[in-house]
Amino acid sequence: MNHTVDMRVRLGSLELRNPVVTASGTFASGREYAGFVELERLGAIVTKGVSLHPWAGNASPRIAETASGMLNSIGLQNPGVEAFCASDLVWLATRDVPVIVNISGHSVAEYVAVAERLEAEAVVSALEVNISCPNVDEGGMAFGTSRSAAAEVTRAVRSATRKPLIVKLTPNVTDITEIARAVEAEGADGVSLINTLLGMAIDTDTFHPKLARAVGGLSGPAVKPVAVRMVWQVASAVSIPVIGMGGIATAEDAVEFMLAGATAVAVGTANFVDPTATMRITEGLEAFCLKRGIGRVAELTGAVRL
Amino acid sequence: MTCGSDGGLERMLLERVTVLGNERVTEGVGLVVLEAPRVARGVRPGQFVHLRIAEGRDFILRRPFSVHRASGERLEILYQVLGVGTRALSLAERGEEMDLIGPLGHGWEMPDTLSHALLVCGGLGSAPMGMLAIELAEKGVAVTVAQGASTAGRLVARELFADVARRHEIATDDGSAGERGFVTALVEPLVAQDRPDIVYVCGPEPMERIVAAQAATAGVPCQVSLERLMGCGIGACLSCVVSTVHGQKRACVDGPVFNAEEVLWASAEIPPKY
Repeated sequence: MNHTVDMRVRLGSLELRNPVVTASGTFASGREYAGFVELERLGAIVTKGVSLHPWAGNASPRIAETASGMLNSIGLQNPGVEAFCASDLVWLATRDVPVIVNISGHSVAEYVAVAERLEAEAVVSALEVNISCPNVDEGGMAFGTSRSAAAEVTRAVRSATRKPLIVKLTPNVTDITEIARAVEAEGADGVSLINTLLGMAIDTDTFHPKLARAVGGLSGPAVKPVAVRMVWQVASAVSIPVIGMGGIATAEDAVEFMLAGATAVAVGTANFVDPTATMRITEGLEAFCLKRGIGRVAELTGAVRL
Repeated sequence: MTCGSDGGLERMLLERVTVLGNERVTEGVGLVVLEAPRVARGVRPGQFVHLRIAEGRDFILRRPFSVHRASGERLEILYQVLGVGTRALSLAERGEEMDLIGPLGHGWEMPDTLSHALLVCGGLGSAPMGMLAIELAEKGVAVTVAQGASTAGRLVARELFADVARRHEIATDDGSAGERGFVTALVEPLVAQDRPDIVYVCGPEPMERIVAAQAATAGVPCQVSLERLMGCGIGACLSCVVSTVHGQKRACVDGPVFNAEEVLWASAEIPPKY
């Protein structure tokens, strides 16, 4: 019987102290959660998406609640990479936690420019390339729904950075494994999935869509079975690590994603429901391993019995 | 002002709370009393709490509610039943436990130099004004309240205002109490007669916009409490943005109370159906 669990996991050259990270866009850069969460106990902070220039985001309403989930169309509102470096990264440098910066662009050149700007920032442990946001008109998901475009962005960013490179994939495709294989072939060190599922809700009093932009991304427990299925498919198709996410709200949810093949897991919408969710899930994951006599949490990865 | 956005962030906390009472106030409106010792002690007028109404339901998000009154360890929250969350809240019984995050947001500013304040509320806009009226009166500020509702029975917190305000004017759409018509019609004469140093306003956004314009015309500072759909409630998710002359602000940490002159009013902000 083990009395301790080795919670460390590896994403390529990056070692995390445990598998639980934050999902981009749900945790800002961590500052807002510092009163609820010991940030140093996170596997990593994955920041809100940052672009070359400031982006204003979409019109309101930007969210709508749906059964066991929510739609959002924030639209990657962010102050641009310069302001991000001057504010968020300076603050993050004071915290002992790996930082994975999520990057976005309207064009391949913009992705590259953001990656180049971040290359000299020692506090940045890795990049997560967002080719899967359903809420912007140019770029975003457009890069993630075509094998050739996904490959092109990955190739370009790969040549601009020596940092570990994770590519975040969209579920809004016919075959997610094709995209995963394409970005692996271009040098991605890992893939993260799933981003939100494109959805829509309509107010039956007003006949207007509940989101100003009409459509948005579905997240929360409602999407979890889709996400587990896709993580399982992708983990079976590539040899690089998978960060699994989509509706994780409990430690058992995290275990499920790891069994499906995830090396690490990201907590997203659950942060809104319970700002301490990441801590609760990390503790629960360790307790699960102890109870089951699992000495290394990494043993869970891909351990589904088919 | 005691609670800038950074200060508010440091003081907010997650607290397990118990329902002490939950009663119907008028059709579709309830008042829930919560035992929340830590948050009740720290909350300032105009701030809100982000309430997780019940676990294990098919809705997952918290609901933001402004605090109507706080005394000792008790918080009073006025709510309107508009959606699945508020419907669940209306069914909460004494002894039930919930949790909340609070106190949140930037509340009403109450400069020490105030001598006369005008509070303008429409419908459930009276919710964040209970504490405000009480504290102003305790500070010796002369309080005038202009309150509007569709009909007499829906003048929520009417008794509280009648108790603490030096002057309490009413307008109802059907004329069943006070003047017949909108509360906005009361504002201009009250500003002219009472010469307030500040106007506080909360209600439907079109009404807030009119009152803000009336205050601006009279040269009186105006503070407005805005409502937006919120996700996290603590500044991270950017769901509740408000367009201002200083760029996009977050209703949850930069508001919900804003100086009216900085707000860029939207053409048709849809009220949230919590």
